[in-house]
Order: sequence, then C-alpha cells, then structure tokens
Amino acid sequence: MTVYSLLFYLLSLLTLAATAMAVTRRHMVHAVLYLVLSFFGTALLFYLLGAPLLAALEVIIYAGAIMVLFLFIIMMIRVEKEDDRFFPFLQWWPALLISGGFLAGLLALSREDLVRQPGMTVAQALPQVFGIHLFRDHWLAIEIASLLLLIALVGVLHLSRRRRADAIEEAP
Amino acid sequence: MVPFSHSLLVAALLFGMGLFCLLTRRNLIMMLLGIEVMLNAGALAFVAASLHWQQMDGQAMVLFILTVAATEVSVGLALIVALYRRTGSVDPDPPADRQLAAQAGEGGV
Amino acid sequence: MMSSPPIEVVLLLAVALGLPLTAFGVIMTLTRSQPRVSAIISLGAIAVAFGASLSLLIAHWGMPTPLVYEITWLVAGELPIPLGVLLDPTSLLMLTVVAAISLLVQIYSLGYMAGDPGFGRYYGCMSLFAWAMLTLTVSSSLIQLYIFWELVGLASYLLIGFWFEKWTASEAGKKAFVMTRLGDTAFLLGLILLWLNLGDLSIAGLNDPQVADRLSPGQLTLAAVLIFGGIIGKSAQFPLLTWLPDAMEGPTPVSALLHSATMVAAGVYLFARLFGFFSLSPAVMTLCLAVGTLSMLLAASMALVSRDIKQVWAYSTISQLGYMLMGLGAGGFTAGVFHLTTHAGFKALLFLCAGVLIHHFDTNDIFRMSQRGSRRQRLTLVCLVIGAAALSGLPPLSGFFSKEMILAHLAVHAHPFWLAAGLLGSFLTAYYTFRLIFVLLRPAAETPSDDAEGHHHSEPFGELCMAAVLVTLAGLTVVLGFGQGALTHFLSAAAGAPPPAPAHHLGWLPVVVLTLTGAAIVAAWWEFARQKRSETGWVDRFPTLATLFARRWYLDDLYRWLLDRVVYGGFSRAFTWNDQRVIDGGLDGLGQTVIDWGAISARLNRSQIQFRLMVLFAVVAVLVLYLAFA
Repeated sequence: MTVYSLLFYLLSLLTLAATAMAVTRRHMVHAVLYLVLSFFGTALLFYLLGAPLLAALEVIIYAGAIMVLFLFIIMMIRVEKEDDRFFPFLQWWPALLISGGFLAGLLALSREDLVRQPGMTVAQALPQVFGIHLFRDHWLAIEIASLLLLIALVGVLHLSRRRRADAIEEAP
Repeated sequence: MVPFSHSLLVAALLFGMGLFCLLTRRNLIMMLLGIEVMLNAGALAFVAASLHWQQMDGQAMVLFILTVAATEVSVGLALIVALYRRTGSVDPDPPADRQLAAQAGEGGV
Repeated sequence: MMSSPPIEVVLLLAVALGLPLTAFGVIMTLTRSQPRVSAIISLGAIAVAFGASLSLLIAHWGMPTPLVYEITWLVAGELPIPLGVLLDPTSLLMLTVVAAISLLVQIYSLGYMAGDPGFGRYYGCMSLFAWAMLTLTVSSSLIQLYIFWELVGLASYLLIGFWFEKWTASEAGKKAFVMTRLGDTAFLLGLILLWLNLGDLSIAGLNDPQVADRLSPGQLTLAAVLIFGGIIGKSAQFPLLTWLPDAMEGPTPVSALLHSATMVAAGVYLFARLFGFFSLSPAVMTLCLAVGTLSMLLAASMALVSRDIKQVWAYSTISQLGYMLMGLGAGGFTAGVFHLTTHAGFKALLFLCAGVLIHHFDTNDIFRMSQRGSRRQRLTLVCLVIGAAALSGLPPLSGFFSKEMILAHLAVHAHPFWLAAGLLGSFLTAYYTFRLIFVLLRPAAETPSDDAEGHHHSEPFGELCMAAVLVTLAGLTVVLGFGQGALTHFLSAAAGAPPPAPAHHLGWLPVVVLTLTGAAIVAAWWEFARQKRSETGWVDRFPTLATLFARRWYLDDLYRWLLDRVVYGGFSRAFTWNDQRVIDGGLDGLGQTVIDWGAISARLNRSQIQFRLMVLFAVVAVLVLYLAFA
C-alpha cells in the first residue's frame, strides 16, 4: 500500500463521513458546513486522481460559490424548524432499498475481486495541457456551457424580479 | 495507486447518500443539496475514469458537470425563493398533500 | 511593370497624402476651437501637398511607364487587399489639379468663412476631403479607390450639411449622401462581380485587353454597367442628377471645390482611369455617350430658367460633366481628361466669383444682385466674365480648346446625332451663361444703403485672399488652353492610354461652334441687355416649358413618388409585416408553445415530487440490475 493509496482511502473516508453527516443534519446550516468539508475532501481526491485544475475549480465553485449561495438563501428565508423534517419514517425503507440496489448494481458491474486488482497508474493533467485540450476538442461544448450560464442568469433575474402582487404580500 | 473500482465505489456511495437525501428530506433546499452531492459523485467517477483510461475527456466532462451544477443551483434556489415568497414554506408538496403525508407517516421523525 | 519607385517619390507621396490626414486629425482632436491655428495647419498641409504633387508632376513629365507601388494591407482568406499608388500621367495630372484647387479654395475660405463659428471644423473637413481625394486619384486598385470614393462622399456629406442648423442644408446633405450611395451600391456590386471572376482589382490589370478573354461578354458588360452606375451617382448624371443642385446649400467654397471642380469629377476620372476596361464593351461606351448627352441637355435646360447663381453653376457643372462623358464615350480619352482639367479651373473660378457676390449682397438671386448694384464689383465681374467665356467656349480661353477637342472627336468618331446634340448643348451653355452675365451687368435699380453693406465688410485680409485667388484662377483659365499640345502629349504617353488620335483638324467645326455661341450671346444680349430689353427669356414665353425646366423635369417628383410608393409603400410595409408577423410572431409563437407545453406537463406533475423521484430511481435501479445480470 503506497502513500497515494493510503491518502486515497483516508480522504474517501473523510468525504463519505462528512457527506453522511451532511445529509442527516436537521439544521441546514450544519448540513451545508459538513458538505463544504465533503467537497474539500472531493477536491483533494481530484488532485490525487490527477486533475489539479478541477480540484481548484471544485474548491472555488462548489465549496466557494455554491455553498455560500446555499448559506445566503438559508439565512434569507429563515425556515421554521417544524418544516425541516424527514420524510415519513414509513417510507424510509424504499429509499434505503433503492440506494442499496444502486450500490449492489454498481458493485455487480465491476464483478471482479475488489481487493486484488491492479492499481491505476499515477498521472496528472497539467492545467495548460488540459486547457489546450479543452479549447481544441471541446470548444463547441464550452460555448454551449457558456450559453447555458447566460440562460441561467437571465432566468434567475426573471424569477427574482418582484412582481407587484408579491410586493403587496410582503409589505406588512 | 488504488484500483479503478475502489474510486467507483466511493463515487457510488456518495451518489447513494445524495439520493437518500433527495428522497427523504422534506425541504426543498436539502433536496437541492442532495442533488449537488449526486452530481459531485458523478464528477468523481468521471475523474477516476479519466485517470483509468489516461484520457482527458473525462476531466472535460467534469467541467461541464460543474457548469450544469452551478446553473441548476442558481435557478433552483431562485425558484425556491420565489416559492417561499408566494407560500411562505419550502416544502416540496402543496399544503393539501402535506396534511395527507402527515396523516400517513405517523412515525415521521 | 512592377517597378519599385525611387525613394524620393515615396517621400513626396507620403508628404502629399499624409499631411492632410494629419491636419484633419490634429484639427478635429486638438485645435477645433481655435480657428486661426486650424486654418494655418490645414493650409500648411495642403500647400506642402501641392508642392509635393507639383514636383512629382514635373519629375515625371516624360515618364515612359506607369509606376506602381503596392503593399499588402490585409489578407482576407486568399484575397490580398493591396494598398498602393499608381502613378501615370492621368493620376499625376489629377493629383496636381486637386491639390491646386484645394489650396486655392482653402485660401479663399480664409475670407469667405471668416467669423463663422464652425471655422475650425470647416478646415478639418476640408483637410479630410483633401486627403481622401488625393489618395483616390493615385489609388492603384479599385478596392482602395472605392474606399476613398466613400470617404470623399463622407466629406461631401459633412460639408454640404456644414450649416446643419439650417433644415434645408442637412436635408440636402442627406439627399446627396443617399443618392450617391445608390450609385455606389451598383459600383460595389460591379467590383464584387469583377473580383469573383478575375480575383484582381488593380487598375493596371483591368485595363489590360486580356480581360476580355477572361470574362464572358455578358459579365464584362454587366460589370462595366454596374461600375458606370457609381460614376452616374458621383458625377450627378442622369438619372441621379438632382442631388447636385441641392448640394449648393453648403458654403460656396465647398461647392467650388467638391461639387464642381474635384469630387463630382471623380466619376469622370474613374471612367478615364478604367478607360481601357470600358473600351472593351462597346455597349457601355454607347451608354456612356447617351447618358452624358442626356444629362448635358437636361441640365442645360434647367439652367436656362434658374435665378439662383449657384444653381446655374451647379446645372452647368452637370452639363459639363456630361460633355466629358460624351468625349470619353466617343473614345476621346485625351479630350475628356483635358476638359476635366480646364473645367476644374474655370468652374472653380465661377463658383468663387459667385461666392464673393453672395457674400457681398447676401442673396443668391441674380436679379436681386443686379438691383443692389452688382455692376460695381469690378474685379469680381471681370473674373466672372473670363470664367463665363471659358465655359461658353470662347477663344482664346481654356474652355474653347477643350470643348472644341471633344466636339471634334464626336464629329470624327461618332454618329452625327451626337455631334448635333453637342452643338445644341454648346448653344444652350453660351445662352444661359451670358444671360446670367448680362443680368448681373445691368445698372443698379436702387442706391445701395450703407447699412445694407455695412456688416458685410470682412477684414481687408480676407478680401485680399479672395481677390488673389480669383485673379490666380482667372489667369490659369486664360493660360491653360495654350497648354493643350503639351498636355495631350503628356497624357498620350501613358502606357495604359490609347494611342493618340491623329490630329483631326476640321476647319469647319470651330466656325460652326463659334457661330452658334455668338448667336447665343446675341440672343442673351437681345433679351437681357439692350436698351429696350424684354427681361424675359424665350423660355419664359412658354410657361409649361419654363415650369418643366424649373422643376427639373419633375425628376424630384418622380423620385418622391417612387420613394412613397415603392420604398415606403412597398418595401417598408412588406418588411414591417415580416418583422411583426413572421419574426416577432414566430418568436412569440415559440414562447407561447413552450408555455403551453409547460402548462400541460405541469398538469401531469403536480405535487408528491419525492414519490415520483423514488419511482424514477427505482425504475433506473431495476434497469441497471437487469442490464448488469441479463
């Protein structure tokens, strides 16, 4: 077991534990903070798996922008505790069943001995090489992605525009 | 380095947790959080595959996943805020259904 | 062919072309608010440019082959767009003429425009024009020529609408811009056609007779006709001739420089430039002859009844440009270019004289001028008479030689019909010119009051500038005619030009022309100058005819009708409909469709979202298991 592998397992454990904590917290701010930890772990995993640029982006976009956005919204709308509850307990079991089914399916797909497998070779995609690759072979997708962001921007602006009816409702 | 299937396993576990969150939380924000976890799990699988086959296309795909996630979160949160302004709650179901669900799930936590 | 010119030529050219542009930039950005500095900068630039072009002309007097110097400006795909100069006798002559007239007019403007609030802007625009026009004359390819052709049009627009606070002036500027643009569109289409088929737009290349082998006759004729459309627009020929009289709304020096001497002559110059190319298509040459003749006669008839001195000169400009086109269309390259040169001189003189009178009497109407005592402006009237005599073609002034050369060419090389038309035009020209002169020479009817003239006294320096320019131009008009032999020789030396026509000395032609001119002058004297004068021209006895002429043969009404019916009523309405119904309606329909589908799918997906998600994932999980184990 090399240092790489050791690090990988440690980070995976950290990520999984943080995520598990996140999805079960009742207080949403706690959930978000755990999730930030989870994303940090994922980012380190990315780095380990040879994607330094993506690791940086993961931290910046997921842990930075998206989670902060969540925090903003949570603080903005102040949901009462009562509303924040789990799904009726009776229906937990189908969820567990399905999650387990997925897990089983994925494990079955590998259908191999999980322990004695050859490890992957270590490699790293340098940011500049990755960038050149991206803009040469995926330029159209990049453009579409930028268009998507633009559409999202317009959509959010439209959605958050206060209409007169709302303004009256909100003016106590 | 670790075998490919181990990283896939981690991704699958993350995905499962996200799915669990999505299906069980009675709160739109938490559901959105679950979707984020699922997308993140997908991204992890792509990065691992990229390393496994020594091709950068997987990483490129992750970039697009990031874009989609950002888009989805911003639009989703905007929708949630709009919904909250209108109904004063972030419950995924309308009030009528909520009562029904409350009656059905006596053992709700 | 491609010989790189010596360094001093490049330097001189750089000076001639670069200085006016620099002046334009400096005036517009820095010194616009300081009239004196702006005028000095602009005048200095154009004076040096004139010196440079004159020395170029002298240095190349006996030049055997044209000089071409080109650099690649930019490459569009596989087509390089060159930027360069082509120096041959025609362009050198035109370069010098343009620089000289620009210089004189700018000196004149010192007096004419003195005290105008837009003085700096005026000189800036003049520099812009000088730069564009000088570069146009030496352009080596049609693309470059076209670019500067448009820049000249821009300068024209800016200067016609110089007094933009006056409604008619800004309208006239727009009219001029749009009408020339109509011709320019044809020009551009012709260029594209040539470019697609030849891949080369250099002037030297187009004048090569081999072009006829590389183009089908139909394409050749089409391209030539389209380019001729540009000439029609720029030189105000039929049917696009009505913008030029309206362009007289600009300051008079501008009319002298742009709208008589140089810019409108650019069309004729282009024809001379591509003379070899046009010669390949006999149909276009005939078209050119016909358009020239028609414009010449139409404009002359309009000039018969106009009371506005600038309008008369504007019509006469159209008419003389028609003459040039007649000469060129009949194959008389030298005759056309020579008339272009002499016309630039004497028409500028006529306009500048008119400017002095307008400045002094504050009216454009010749009858009012004579009532207010135009007779006492001795120097101006002497110069005016010299210019008018040259315009009518009286010996020994420059106009006589050049006009006689064109008529001689018509007599030898063309159908007698065209010659008859030319002679008729010459009669009409002499009649309307001397009608104006005799009216102005009449004794004053009212004693001029002092206060009427009081505020028109500009400072003596300005008066001096104007007078000096008039005398210089008058001297040129007298002298230039005797340079016919030398100029003919010089122009014939051009390699691209056709071989010099053998000297046709038709003894009878000058006699006929002079008889007609004399008759016209006598007629004008009879009606306007003798003791018991009738004060009405013969045209005025036929009211219908007079109205027809005065309203420009109803050409403007025709354009208005066409504009209202075809453009506004037809195209505009169709496009509005398309815009509202098809484009807007299409987008609205698209949006409505999306909304409708959204409503339908929303109806299908109401509430219980987590149950639905659960089912969805369950199905996917089953599918995965199935695919994994089956």
